[in-house]
Amino acid sequence: MNLFNKKKTKLEATNEFNQVVVGNSLTKDAWRRLKKNKMAVISVVIVSIYILLAILAPILPIYPYDEIILDHQHLKPSLSKTSGELLTEKKMADLYTQAWRQGRLKVTPEEDDMLWAWIDSSNANKVWDYMFIVGSEQIADGTYTFTSAEKRTIDNLEKKLKTDLQITVKKVWHTNQETGKKDNVAKLPVEQVVEIYAEMVGTSVEIVSEQYEREIEQQLVKVIMAQNPDLTPEEYLLLYDKELESMSEKEHDKLVKENVLAKISSRAKEIASKDLKVAATDESAVFPLDKEIIIQGSLSADVEATKMHDRRYYLGTDYQGRDMLSRIIYGGQVSIAIGFIGTITSVFIGIILGALAGYLGGKVDYFIMRIVDIMYGLPYMLLVIIAMAIFGRNILNLFFALAIISWLTVSRMVRGQIMSLKNQEFIEAARSMGAPTWRIIFRHLVPNSLSVIIVFSTLRIPSFIMTESFLSFLGLGVQAPYASWGSLVGDAVGGMTLYPWKLFFPAAAMTIFLFAMNFLGDGLRDAFDPQSKNQL
Amino acid sequence: MTKYIIRRLLGIIPTLLVIITISFFIVRVAPGGPFDGERALPEVVKRNIEAKYHMDDPLLIQYGRYMFDVLRGDLGPSFRYKDHDVNFYIFQSLPNSMILGVIAISLSIIFGITSGMLAAVKQNTWVDYLSMALAVVGISVPLFVIGPVLQYVFAMRLGWLPTSGWFTAGDGWKTIILPAVTLAFADFATIARLTRSSMLETLRSDYIRTAKAKGMKPSAIIFKHSMKGAMLPIVSYLGPAFAGIITGSVVVEQVFRIPGLGKFFVQSSFNRDYTLIVGVVIVYSVILVIMNFIVDIVYSLLDPRITYK
Repeated sequence: MNLFNKKKTKLEATNEFNQVVVGNSLTKDAWRRLKKNKMAVISVVIVSIYILLAILAPILPIYPYDEIILDHQHLKPSLSKTSGELLTEKKMADLYTQAWRQGRLKVTPEEDDMLWAWIDSSNANKVWDYMFIVGSEQIADGTYTFTSAEKRTIDNLEKKLKTDLQITVKKVWHTNQETGKKDNVAKLPVEQVVEIYAEMVGTSVEIVSEQYEREIEQQLVKVIMAQNPDLTPEEYLLLYDKELESMSEKEHDKLVKENVLAKISSRAKEIASKDLKVAATDESAVFPLDKEIIIQGSLSADVEATKMHDRRYYLGTDYQGRDMLSRIIYGGQVSIAIGFIGTITSVFIGIILGALAGYLGGKVDYFIMRIVDIMYGLPYMLLVIIAMAIFGRNILNLFFALAIISWLTVSRMVRGQIMSLKNQEFIEAARSMGAPTWRIIFRHLVPNSLSVIIVFSTLRIPSFIMTESFLSFLGLGVQAPYASWGSLVGDAVGGMTLYPWKLFFPAAAMTIFLFAMNFLGDGLRDAFDPQSKNQL
Repeated sequence: MTKYIIRRLLGIIPTLLVIITISFFIVRVAPGGPFDGERALPEVVKRNIEAKYHMDDPLLIQYGRYMFDVLRGDLGPSFRYKDHDVNFYIFQSLPNSMILGVIAISLSIIFGITSGMLAAVKQNTWVDYLSMALAVVGISVPLFVIGPVLQYVFAMRLGWLPTSGWFTAGDGWKTIILPAVTLAFADFATIARLTRSSMLETLRSDYIRTAKAKGMKPSAIIFKHSMKGAMLPIVSYLGPAFAGIITGSVVVEQVFRIPGLGKFFVQSSFNRDYTLIVGVVIVYSVILVIMNFIVDIVYSLLDPRITYK
């Protein structure tokens, strides 16, 4: 007879009046209690929105987080104005302020005093804003007129705003001369792409292939150098050879194709920008537009052109003209991902070691718990800082550094849970039926302490995110062009007076998420363990 | 008790040894060294420099020599700063960090216990809600956000306090307020929550009910009877609190430009100034270990149920 054969007959519990009693599982009970907790429900909604935003970031209609537009440095957040309008405003305010300081633009003596007081307390923003209003008024009623040099500056700016285009090449087409069929070049085999390119530049395939091999080498060495700084040139070459060896034919082909396609695209961009600049100047075209342009002979491309200065930055831009909104969303993606994956990893390690220590006891327990004790005694944040500074600052190292230290508390907690459970009858029953140790641990003991583990993990996520951001803040975590909430706040601290939005938006995004996670964790704990209410 | 203290004191030694060993090897295992600047040094020059700092010896001999020096209280020469040795830099910056840390921890204990007790005694009133809301802020908002925000509001907008600096002319002690409050916030929050929950638990216990039944004054019940019992979890939290203050001060010193040990620590990690890194870690660990030791002793004095052999 097989004891582990599951029987399908459903057992019904009855009370003394022979009524069927429907059991209520712990999870169901906890869910009911959680739903009553208003803060927890709101938190669930907030956390879900954040996670959705983080997951959907690549398909959201936002600008790329690493797109650098130097013209758009430090633009104010604005819901209604385009970047072009903001740029004009900025320039005008600057011109008026200069004119005032040179004494060409007159204001009342009281206003003079006020402006100087602002300058003394380094409130440059206020001065600009004020001067913009005063200057515009004086221009309107004719008390101040621009000099010819200023007029020229303004004209230049206007022309620039009108004609600066941003062109993206969406697809490159190749028309087959014999069949007349149009092929997407990105989908053609490598050899053909190379041929097409060679034809476009008017050289032989050999020269082209020599060129791209060299470029790929440079590219790869660059990547290797970024990953492992501080090596000798010979070591780099060695690593490069290894990298090439480990690359399959297919990967290599893909690299070649990307390289050649990028060149074709950049040619298409050049041609398109020349064509469209004329159209933008005489306003014969309406932007944004989609257009098919002919590169050369049978080669054509679909391009999309938008006016560069029609962009809108709802949360402003940073010091390289990158959109803060998308940086905050992508930064959130990194922070949330590290929070969740890190917690899962550390809980996983903690469960295994804690369960082994708790169930097996004796020497295993002693050994594991001594390790935990010693690691607890270490000033581990300091060690993490050293490790990050020395072993290279990238997301993977950061992740490992955090996972190594964060399993300690989980393992202690799981050990305690298991020690209290392991002498109960159902474990004895399982053992007497001959269940192996791993089965008792992972099928009976761990699932029974899962509720405590879940609650703990939820409270663990915010602290994980905090630690990650702490390191990123110090410049030891995520490196540019990637962002995380911590690095965004860290970047903002320097220019806080002039560009407060750079500090407040990421800080607010992060704070709201951490709030929600903390409330959710508290709510879950109260739901799973009502007696612990109000405990820390 | 004396025996216990001696045993605990002896137990500190292996912990410190482990910390020194780990940090010594962590910095040396990594690729690159303190002398790899932007420009590659000629081979001979590099070898000479390494010989000067005994870095051409086998790692174990370096380790032994370093350990011997540390036992004598000499943390070695700095690899980057040529003017002074590590001891000098540490003793120059440690007092600043100590002042900041002591003020921060005192602030968090005083305000944490007060607001936690108020919240417990006046449970479910606005006092309770306010102090718990503050505590939630302290727990959820990282201090590198609190710091700059306080700086922005109180220093830049309102102009009440200086933005940064350390006992600079004209501002004096005012420079210390913002960094200390920032640093104290997280521990204040935890202590307030701990105090509140342990106070609530104590207030419900039997001996308090007896005291009430005897007709004691409420103030006497709170201060004489409940407080001692409620303090235990807070004392045991102080160990982790010190660790938090130390890591926190690294950020706070960065934000408020305080010439303390934490700022040195981050800088030297970037510079791979091996001796300075390990030196700072040793100083921090000694402080931490001693603090934990004191906390344990205080705990045993407060709780008569714990006996030590």
